[in-house]
Amino acid sequence: MKRIRQISVFVENRPGRLLEVVDLLGKHNINIKALSLADSSDFGIVRLVVKGVDEAIKVLKENGFTVSETPIIACMIDDKPGSLASILRTLAENQINIEYMYGFASPVEGKAVMVFKFSETEKAQEILKEHNIKMLSQEEIREI
Amino acid sequence: MIYDDELETLPREALQALQLKRLQNTVERVYNLVPFYRKKLDEANVKPEDIKSLDDLKRLPFTTKQDLRDNYPFGLFTIPLEQVVRVHASSGTTGKPTVVGYSKRDIDVWSDLMARSLAAAGVSKGDIIQNAYGYGLFTGGLGAHYGGERLGATVIPISGGNTKKQIMIMKDFGSTVLTATPSYTLYLAETIADMGVKREELKLRVGILGAEPWSEEMRNAIEEKLGIDAIDIYGLSEILGPGVAIECIEAKKGLHIWEDAFIPEIIDPETGEVLPDGEEGELVITTIQKEAIPLIRYRTRDITRIIKEPCKCGRTHRRIERIKGRTDDMLIIRGVNIFPSQIESLLMETEGVEPHYQIIVDRVNNLDTMEVKVEVSEKIFSDEIKHLQRLKEQIEKDIKDLYGISVKVTLAEPKTLQRFEGKAKRVIDKRKI
Repeated sequence: MKRIRQISVFVENRPGRLLEVVDLLGKHNINIKALSLADSSDFGIVRLVVKGVDEAIKVLKENGFTVSETPIIACMIDDKPGSLASILRTLAENQINIEYMYGFASPVEGKAVMVFKFSETEKAQEILKEHNIKMLSQEEIREI
Repeated sequence: MIYDDELETLPREALQALQLKRLQNTVERVYNLVPFYRKKLDEANVKPEDIKSLDDLKRLPFTTKQDLRDNYPFGLFTIPLEQVVRVHASSGTTGKPTVVGYSKRDIDVWSDLMARSLAAAGVSKGDIIQNAYGYGLFTGGLGAHYGGERLGATVIPISGGNTKKQIMIMKDFGSTVLTATPSYTLYLAETIADMGVKREELKLRVGILGAEPWSEEMRNAIEEKLGIDAIDIYGLSEILGPGVAIECIEAKKGLHIWEDAFIPEIIDPETGEVLPDGEEGELVITTIQKEAIPLIRYRTRDITRIIKEPCKCGRTHRRIERIKGRTDDMLIIRGVNIFPSQIESLLMETEGVEPHYQIIVDRVNNLDTMEVKVEVSEKIFSDEIKHLQRLKEQIEKDIKDLYGISVKVTLAEPKTLQRFEGKAKRVIDKRKI
């Protein structure tokens, strides 16, 4: 099954904290492919898809960040109106719950990449496969 | 191991007879030599010869920290300064410090009491004591030092701080005993893990920890992280320094107070009335072996109770319960009394938080507010907000359920809250600033 490795970082809600995370990765020449920020009133979680996962984790930990790794699913869809709705409809019809999702910064021409965290990953992947929705592997992420 | 077999296991009756004799000597001494005490006793209409039984102790007036300040620096000494071989002083965060003096004999008695305390914690001659209590005006460093030497152990006088060097020395010298504050011990444990030093590389066996109130749950955290026995020791500079009371390693339940040198009482801090054994209140201590500055019924402001039941270790000296906090540390939040140690207990029992916390008290629109900041543990960090939110809400609910006050819990990033090399300062009370 194709999964990709997402890095999650705990950050307190204060000015400049997100900057410190991305600045650190930039200085170590780690390219961020996708990023999403989930927040509550006083803390947040930065979720990242990067090139060079192991190094990113090492660098962040060395600098005192709390980091965890979560397997997620990346789907490549057509970059045109209605394509996201179509995939979400398929998932909804099959009772698949999405915990969270976000989009990629630099997809290939004519394509868009969305990453998903499902409540039931296995089941979700079966459905996506059945409906011929293209999922990306970690290697493929590195290519785009 | 029992250091002084005869005195430590003296039958209660003989111990009380010894206490009475020493109390009578002390009262006579201060009445004749310290104008402050003569005046106080005269005002209370008590003469030294009126002390005929230990029960008469309660006729004597209390001594407070303010009395020590009023007589700053040497006003309560019974001996001329040329017979005083050492002085120590309390930190004195507000105003003048409180100063205490020691005669040669006092240092001798103190060394014995501290050697006795170390032995009760399972330390003996062959041990290597890494003494990370601060050396200086604070009694911790030199108190533990002299006790260790008296016992015949090897003492490393490293003092507090310089954490990485501490760990290098701990490893290279093979330290078996650590004397430090519990909060600094926790910081050492964390740094040991960060430096990648393995438990097998250390010979550490026991930690003798004190100088600040801590909880049973903090003990569990320290014992688990370092794989040692963590022993609670009690003392205060006004009375002596470390070595007033200590847990025995046999029971690790309650601290034996050395009753041949101190008479403990528990009083109601509001009324001053003496409470029966077993009831919680303020600890009051009368020193009956001190020469330079004996204190009569000194109000320690520490909250505890006396455990009168005999201990399985065989020592006949009664125990006091782990100190719950100091009356001046007690927070009153919208009329509810709470000690920081109670919050600590609760946090330590919560899975997923590190034993580092800070309490911030403020007043917003005339209402007291309390914020508890606690570090999230890497072990439970989840990439989903709702899990963390649940952790935060659970702690808020637990505090509300147990102590009836609403607090705001803030999750902090690991290693961002302040670490302490000496006594921890966990409460920031902005209402006073």
